[in-house]
Amino acid sequence: MKNLKLIAACLFLYGVAQAQDKGNLLIKNGTVLTVTKGTLPETDVLVKDGKITQIAKNITAPQGVKTIDAKGLFVMPGIIDAHSHIALDAINEMTSPVTAEVAEADVVNPFQINIYRALGGGVTTIHSLHGSANAIGGQCVVLKLRYGTFDMNAMKMEGVPRTIKFALGENPTRVHGGGSNIVPRTRMGVEFVIRKSFSDAKKYMEEWDAYNKNKLVKGFRGASPVYNLRLETLAEILKGNIIIHCHSYRADEIFMLLKVCKDFGIKKITFQHANEGYKVAPELAAYGAMASVFSDWWAYKFEVYYSTAYNAAILTKNGVVTSINSDDAEMMRHLYHEAGKTQKYGGLSDEEALALITINPAKQLGVESRIGSLEVGKDADIAIFKNHPLSIYGVPQYTIVDGIVRFDRANDPADMRLMVDPKQNLEEATLSEKGVDRCMEGTEFLFTNDKN
Amino acid sequence: MKKLQLVYGMITALLCALVFHLEAQIPKAKTGTFALTHATIETVTKGTITDGTVVISHGKITDVGTNVQLPAGADVIDCKGLFIYPGMIDGGTNLGMSEIGSDPRTQDFNEIGDVIPQMSALTAVNPNAVAIPITRVSGITTVLASPQGDLYSGTAALINLHGYTPEQMYAGFQGVTLNFPNTGRRGFWDRRTDEEIKKAADNAMKRMSEVWDRAVQYQKIDSATKGKAGYYPEMQALLPVVKGERPLLIEANAAKDIQSALKWIKEKKIKNVILTGVSEGWRVADEIAKAKIPVITGGVLELPTREYDRYDQAYANAGQMFKAGVKVAIRSGETNNQNYRNLPYHAGFAVAYGMDKTEALKAITIVPAEIFGVADKIGSIETGKVANLFVCDGDPFETKTQIKQVFIDGWQIPLVSRQTQLYDEFLKREPGVSKK
Amino acid sequence: MTQRFLIGQIRWLPLVLAFISVTGTFAQDEKQIAPVGRIYALTNVTVVPSPGKKIEKATVVIKDGLIQAVGTAVSIPTDAIIMKADSMYVYAGFIDGLSRTGVIKPKDEPNPQRPKDPGNPPADKAGITPQNDVRNSLNPTDKSVEELRNIGFTLAQVVPYGHFLPGTSAIVLLGGKSADEMVLVDQSGLYSELSGAQNVYPNTVMAVMAKWRELYRNASLTKSYQALYASNRSALTRPLNDRVEEAFYPVIDRKIPVVFKAEKILETQRVLTLKNDLGFSLTIGDLKEGYPMIDKVKTSGAKIFLSLDLPDEVKKNEKKSKNKNDSLKTAKTEKPKSAAELEKQGLEKRKNDAIVKYTGQAADFHKAGIVFGFSAMSAKTKDIQSNLRRMIAAGLPEEVALAALTTNPAKMLGLEDRLGTVENGKMANLVVSDKPYFNEKAKVRYVFVDGNLYKLDIKEPKKSNGSVVAKGNWSYTTETPNGTNNGKLTINDDNGTLSGTISNSTSGKGTEMKDVALDGNTLSFSFEYSMGGNTMKIDVSVKIDGDAFEGVMTPGKFGSFPMKGTRDPK
Repeated sequence: MKNLKLIAACLFLYGVAQAQDKGNLLIKNGTVLTVTKGTLPETDVLVKDGKITQIAKNITAPQGVKTIDAKGLFVMPGIIDAHSHIALDAINEMTSPVTAEVAEADVVNPFQINIYRALGGGVTTIHSLHGSANAIGGQCVVLKLRYGTFDMNAMKMEGVPRTIKFALGENPTRVHGGGSNIVPRTRMGVEFVIRKSFSDAKKYMEEWDAYNKNKLVKGFRGASPVYNLRLETLAEILKGNIIIHCHSYRADEIFMLLKVCKDFGIKKITFQHANEGYKVAPELAAYGAMASVFSDWWAYKFEVYYSTAYNAAILTKNGVVTSINSDDAEMMRHLYHEAGKTQKYGGLSDEEALALITINPAKQLGVESRIGSLEVGKDADIAIFKNHPLSIYGVPQYTIVDGIVRFDRANDPADMRLMVDPKQNLEEATLSEKGVDRCMEGTEFLFTNDKN
Repeated sequence: MKKLQLVYGMITALLCALVFHLEAQIPKAKTGTFALTHATIETVTKGTITDGTVVISHGKITDVGTNVQLPAGADVIDCKGLFIYPGMIDGGTNLGMSEIGSDPRTQDFNEIGDVIPQMSALTAVNPNAVAIPITRVSGITTVLASPQGDLYSGTAALINLHGYTPEQMYAGFQGVTLNFPNTGRRGFWDRRTDEEIKKAADNAMKRMSEVWDRAVQYQKIDSATKGKAGYYPEMQALLPVVKGERPLLIEANAAKDIQSALKWIKEKKIKNVILTGVSEGWRVADEIAKAKIPVITGGVLELPTREYDRYDQAYANAGQMFKAGVKVAIRSGETNNQNYRNLPYHAGFAVAYGMDKTEALKAITIVPAEIFGVADKIGSIETGKVANLFVCDGDPFETKTQIKQVFIDGWQIPLVSRQTQLYDEFLKREPGVSKK
Repeated sequence: MTQRFLIGQIRWLPLVLAFISVTGTFAQDEKQIAPVGRIYALTNVTVVPSPGKKIEKATVVIKDGLIQAVGTAVSIPTDAIIMKADSMYVYAGFIDGLSRTGVIKPKDEPNPQRPKDPGNPPADKAGITPQNDVRNSLNPTDKSVEELRNIGFTLAQVVPYGHFLPGTSAIVLLGGKSADEMVLVDQSGLYSELSGAQNVYPNTVMAVMAKWRELYRNASLTKSYQALYASNRSALTRPLNDRVEEAFYPVIDRKIPVVFKAEKILETQRVLTLKNDLGFSLTIGDLKEGYPMIDKVKTSGAKIFLSLDLPDEVKKNEKKSKNKNDSLKTAKTEKPKSAAELEKQGLEKRKNDAIVKYTGQAADFHKAGIVFGFSAMSAKTKDIQSNLRRMIAAGLPEEVALAALTTNPAKMLGLEDRLGTVENGKMANLVVSDKPYFNEKAKVRYVFVDGNLYKLDIKEPKKSNGSVVAKGNWSYTTETPNGTNNGKLTINDDNGTLSGTISNSTSGKGTEMKDVALDGNTLSFSFEYSMGGNTMKIDVSVKIDGDAFEGVMTPGKFGSFPMKGTRDPK
């Protein structure tokens, strides 16, 4: 019974939160891990209208502002996952090697329980990507974990740069070459598909530019070029308005895309996974390309056989802006632990390790002025831990998004589903699956003869 | 300070590179007599010894304590400020039986057939699997190499992570694995009707029982004919299980399946059983405790099994079962990415979410040793036991902690794996961006 | 062993089917109402001319498909067929805002080939057929027309089968002899669903939405270029005709809305996103889960048809008896509930809350000031009346429910001058029920569509005195893969010991029944059938309800076939 009451209370709380989605809050006496400006012992953080307005000792709570006593606790920026596939109703439009026109922003699902679970791991912002079936996949979406809202648009972080998914290597070659017998079947094909797409987009852009220019001439009569949302999107990449996030593993393919980008004048690129990023770390650093990697995943496919858990450390020490991501609904709940592994594998400092899951992914998403560190003026996205977040014993106690407490471990009932299927069969419990590679979701039917 | 570290690192790298050059791949392990001195020793079974010494001689721990005579000629390793722990044991892996998750040609843990207890993991283990050094340099010295598949999927074997033949690696335990028939839907993609699911489960249950009954029958004939019951490889593999000499490792995860497994075990009067997986064990922990059946659970770092479960349920499972009186060992379950090196972190998460720290340490050392019936040999630091241990500079559950020494079967293992070699080669790649 | 047995069975199949199928066909008896004249007078009825109004002891005169007079002082034309409808109720015929009533479902392609380039499939494979007109697939004799009419619906907005952009909708009368006769308004909207094609582009919702935008924008561009071309063709390249793009033109001109099916909340939000991006006028049909976003739905200005489908109610009886037991138990033992019981209780409660939300959606929309109609698309026709009662019980005022069935949809579809009320001059689409329509025991007795009368046979509920009689002669029919067939049963009762014979109408030969038993109202028996020296056992189990039974015939392991029967008249 108590449980039921709690659910009701929580849902009510979320109802309120929904209506007013920027909060006021004072966090007292915590060890504040700013990430960019050092560690401040016994310090307060004041939040007004969803923004951090003051970080200092002995702040008095303005009237009516709720206080969280963080004495003995660690206050850090909300964790950012630069590679996730949760909160989406569709991941792969795998029917074509190039699908730049599709957008994950259209298929956000704010009800997935994994959103709440991620909050339980201190995560406040995620980059939910298109899958890796296509050489050029769809546009991705940056979400703030405002769990409790029924409005899919309210999940989207406002005013962020657009991002798009690319993919190299086995996934696109297996899906299109292997599955459909169309180019690409090899890494050569992948390069060609990308170069051709950019060339087509360039031509398209020029045609429209010419048409728009002609239209200004008085008395102009003529047909417009055919509108093509795919080329339109690719043109935006060429113009620098969309950041590429490229699924990649091997050093050679990473180097290939760097060259392609250089040839087309594209500067903004982050390599996702980049398990062999360490091999081309100097090149990545020189180009200003970034890398978002696993802490230690390897061996699940041939491309990642020559991985090393020291990847993040090598990249960091070579000056590449590096983040640690999850690509997995479970791992995203302990990115702080994954970041901690870089202290074992490569001896990164606390600040370097924390940057991997805060300010660095923020940079990769082009939102470092908004989130990723605890600084006055930034969004009040905050995780409060019992024990240091890089310790195995670190446990998130509160997760705060825009100044609103979205997770509170002390008041956490079991059933946190927002929507319940009225036709649900209660006699049957479907256990969740382990280790599903959602990157390739929707493509399984192509490989039914394969063991994996 | 930083500079010093760098210099030290470079020297190590240089040395490694040299060793690498000399020794081809992974440098050789060394055996003999070692004395690890001035260490804090976590014996696991006999408390903590400060400023103590562990003497290793030809494979065995020959002395442990504060007042230890160092044998003449011993290789003395000063462990001041360091800690000694028994080697960790992962009670459920396919280590050595799989190289690359998506490549069937590199996988040897999944044979065809639903009743194949005679398929032996021990001989299929590749002693040179790349993942073996990667695992052992993290202090995991022993793992259960386990087949996977349908129903009676084979015979698992406990191996030490050093050696060049199965005999050299064998750690003294084998058991037959059984996947208890799953009564539920396998996932959201499982489109079978309720009826089909029930039918499939019923059929599997029937098959499982029939095979068992036949094995019991076989055992009777075998004992009546004094071992001349004939060549029936499946039955022969089940014979020691029927006799209770070898356990049956039953994988069951859903609460309902665990309950029917307990019922089946009771019905069939199976003497020696280990439950594995047990991800919903917390739901039926009292029943497991009452049945006095030990559990190897994990991985801990998993999602809750049901949408409406509390978010941290998977992390809390091991601790909750322990509290209910179940004997609990923890495994990592990181099969697909061969990350068995994360075993201490699985135990650590169990601690962060409610399990007693001492118990969690036991759950990856002495408890699996007890469950496998090899507690007289491994799982703790005691005189007379096999020298499976590691030296580290802090709490082994913490990611900051570095492993300084690993001994398996008394062999001092070089702390080198392909992953450390790649680090050494690429931390400061030569040439860098420009090749001059 | 198993293998052999199976092969044996397969060899058996034709034999079995040979027994249970017959060559004679079982003609479906169709209700043919021969209209003697087209003038009717319903007398002494209670008329509900529009929601909230009532005229008692009134007369309604129908002539030439129109309502000619309504009131208490109406003179009845001499040539009218007078229908004494004492104590009955007359309403405007109900309007269904979105369904596929009377629309023929295209047959599935037997072996669909995956196109060579799944990224560029032919338009029809991609589901892009907006030029398709639902009139091409209307069938007035489709069972669904009669079924929906029988509960009082006289008009429906119907759409073609398919996904993404299946074609244009039409507003049709639920009666008539031909497709053209049914159609009241053609091309009433451009129908769309946010669902993708199988394995070809666009496969996911996000690709469907991207393609939607691209098609719409290109149609706009082509349309304006065509206008430019039409104004002066000199020195301009001829614009190409594209029927797909042309189908968007009336939408771009806002002459017709885009009609989207959107059951769930996220689908609804996505449809609204498209509307906001492109600016078309929007109708949302079959909405089931709009309640969490009422404000957004309201401000969108979209026309809304709420689904008449509801999730099953938690059975009250079950719950009550359970509660009773529970309370008894707790009273006796005061045993605290186990964690598992508490969990189950919590889950049940949440599921029930969801059901309550669905059921209360119509009331919530009304409270929020949204004018809506209903749609029958995914509802089972037999549940619609009880679902309406559930919505009313959940707070939807009866007159609002009636408005949502009559005046609101008439207005939303632009037909308020012709339909929606019982008034002089309106089309004679009427429903006549023996009690107020929302009364639990109300039955529809007559339906007028376009002035044509459809009379319903009302089966009086059978009085069951508790005793089930199996004894006697019965006629049965079974449905098998080989078609329908029939035969006779004879059951004898010798002081409670049952026996009998079964025969089929082709052979006429009787076979002795075995194990004849009556348990409650379930009659079961088996019989053996021999052919070519082989014998097969066939089991029968049916439930007797007075003078009828229904159940299954199970020949070995070949599955079960439905079996129905009636008692032969004495």
